[in-house]
Amino acid sequence: MARRGGSIKKFSRVQVLFHWLYSGSWIILALTGIAFLWRGDPTEPAAGLGPLLQGSVGQTLRLVHRVAAIGLMTSPLVWLLGDPKSVWPDLKELFSFGKNDLKYMLIAPLYYTTGRGQLPPQGKFNGGHKVNFYVVFTTYFTFIGSGLVMWFGRGAVSDQAFHTAQLIHSLSFWLGSGLFLLHLYLTAIHPFTRRSLSAMVDGWMELQYARLDHSEWVEREVRSGTAQIRDAERPAAAR
Amino acid sequence: MGRAATWDTWRPDPSDARQHVAMLVDTSECIGCKGCEVACKQWNQNEVRINQDPGTYQSHPALDAETWTVIRFFETEEENGMSKWLMQKHSCMHCTEAGCVTACPTDALQYGDYGVVTLNQDACIGCGYCEPACPFDAIFVDRTAWGQRAQKAGKCTFCYDRIAHGMQPACVATCPTDCIKYGDREALIAWGRERVAQLQAMGYKNANLYGVDEMRGLHHLYVLLEPPEAYGLPVEPELSPVLRLWKYGLQPIGKAVLGVGLFGLVVNWLAARRVFKGGLSPQEAAESMHD
Repeated sequence: MARRGGSIKKFSRVQVLFHWLYSGSWIILALTGIAFLWRGDPTEPAAGLGPLLQGSVGQTLRLVHRVAAIGLMTSPLVWLLGDPKSVWPDLKELFSFGKNDLKYMLIAPLYYTTGRGQLPPQGKFNGGHKVNFYVVFTTYFTFIGSGLVMWFGRGAVSDQAFHTAQLIHSLSFWLGSGLFLLHLYLTAIHPFTRRSLSAMVDGWMELQYARLDHSEWVEREVRSGTAQIRDAERPAAAR
Repeated sequence: MGRAATWDTWRPDPSDARQHVAMLVDTSECIGCKGCEVACKQWNQNEVRINQDPGTYQSHPALDAETWTVIRFFETEEENGMSKWLMQKHSCMHCTEAGCVTACPTDALQYGDYGVVTLNQDACIGCGYCEPACPFDAIFVDRTAWGQRAQKAGKCTFCYDRIAHGMQPACVATCPTDCIKYGDREALIAWGRERVAQLQAMGYKNANLYGVDEMRGLHHLYVLLEPPEAYGLPVEPELSPVLRLWKYGLQPIGKAVLGVGLFGLVVNWLAARRVFKGGLSPQEAAESMHD
C-alpha cells in the first residue's frame, strides 16, 4: 500500500491479527450484552429491541456472548506466541507514561478539535494510546474474572460475590465502551487521525503522519537503523 | 379458625389492578399433605420429578425450575423433649422489592398487577442472575432440560392466569385444611395478627407473623409457631446494596455518560472537518500552500 511520502512499518502481521481478534471478540461481546439494555419501556416488552429478543433469540445471544468470551480470553496468546520478540519492547513503552504523554493528554483534545496548540513529540504509542491500553489491560482481567464468576460461580461463591461480579462486569463495560468509541472515532472517522488506521490494516503507517504524531519513535528507529521504511512507489527492504 | 374463617368467596376487584393480593399460610394448621404441591404441578403442567431422595419427608429437596411449591419439613424438639414437626409451604414470596426483578437484565421479571412478581419466560435468556438475588431460594433456571422451558427461569406465578379471572390460586383451592388463605393483603395481615394473638394465648409464645415488612412486604405471608429461622426463612432479608447500585446507579449513569460522550464526538467531528481539510494538519496545509 503505497502512501504519499513513503511508509514506516509500525506493527507486525501478528500484532495486527491479535488486535482484530481481540477487538472483534470485544465488539461481539459488547453488542450481545448491550442489546438487552435498550428494550425501551421495561413494563412493555414489545418496546425497543424487545420483540427481537424473544424466545430463543436471547438464549442464542447468550451462547454467542460466551463463545466470543473465549475468543477474547485466548486472543493474547496469538501475540505472545506469534511474535514474542515485540511483546516486551511494546509493553515496556506502553507502561512508561512520561511528561510528554501527560502534555499530550492535555493538549490533544483541543488540537484534534481546533488544530490549535503544539503536540509534544510522542513515541510509538502516544499518550492516548497508552490510556486506552491501560483501560483495555485492566478490563481484560476484570471482564474475565467477573465473567467466569457469573458463568461458573453460581452456588460456588457467595451471593454478594456474585452481585459484585455483576457490578464489576458492567463497570468494565461502561468504562471500556467509552474508550472503545473514542478509539473507533479517532482511528476511523476523525479527518486527521484516521490516517493512522493503515497501521492496523497492513502494519504500515504513512511516514509523514508518523513524523507528526510519533516523531520521537521515528527518529529513534531511524537513528538506530531499525526503521523499516518504504517509499511511495516501491517497497524497500529494511535498512 | 380453619374452615370457619375460609376465604373461599373473596375475589380481587377486576377493575383495580393496583390492589395487592396475598396468600397467608397458617402453619399451625398445615398437615404437610403436599396437596398444594400436586395442584401446583398439575395446573402449571410442570414436569413431575420423582426419584429424588432428599432424606426427609419432603417430596423434593428444594424448589427448582419445574417445582414451584414444596412443603419443607423441619424436625425440632419441644421443651418436654418430644419431637415436633414444623412445616412450611415454600414458594416465591412475590416481594414488593424483589431481588430477582432488580437483577434481571432482560426485564423478563417484573412487578405485575395485584403486587405479583411476573416472569415472562419468552424474554428470559437463562442468565441466572435472579438465583443468587433471591433471599428465599425460590427461583431457578433449568439447566438440564431441553424442552420448551429449557434454560429458562421458573417460579411460582401466583397463578396469575387464575386470579386474573376471579379464581383462587391452585394451591389455595386444593388445601384440605384451608390453611392457605387468599385475599386482600391488608385484610390478611389483620387476620394474621389476630391469629398470632390467639395462638400466643393458647401457649404458643413464639407465634409470629412473617412477611409484613420483609423485602418491603411479601405477598406470601406466614403465621409461624416458631421464629422464622426455625423454618429456614431469612431474618430481616433485604435487597443487596451492590445489586441496587448495579441496577439503579451504574446502568443509568453509564447510558447517560455514553450519550454525552457520543454527542461530544459529533461536535468534535463537525469542528475538526473544517480544520483538518483533506486530512491534513494545519502545519501540513501551511507547508503545502508554501510549496
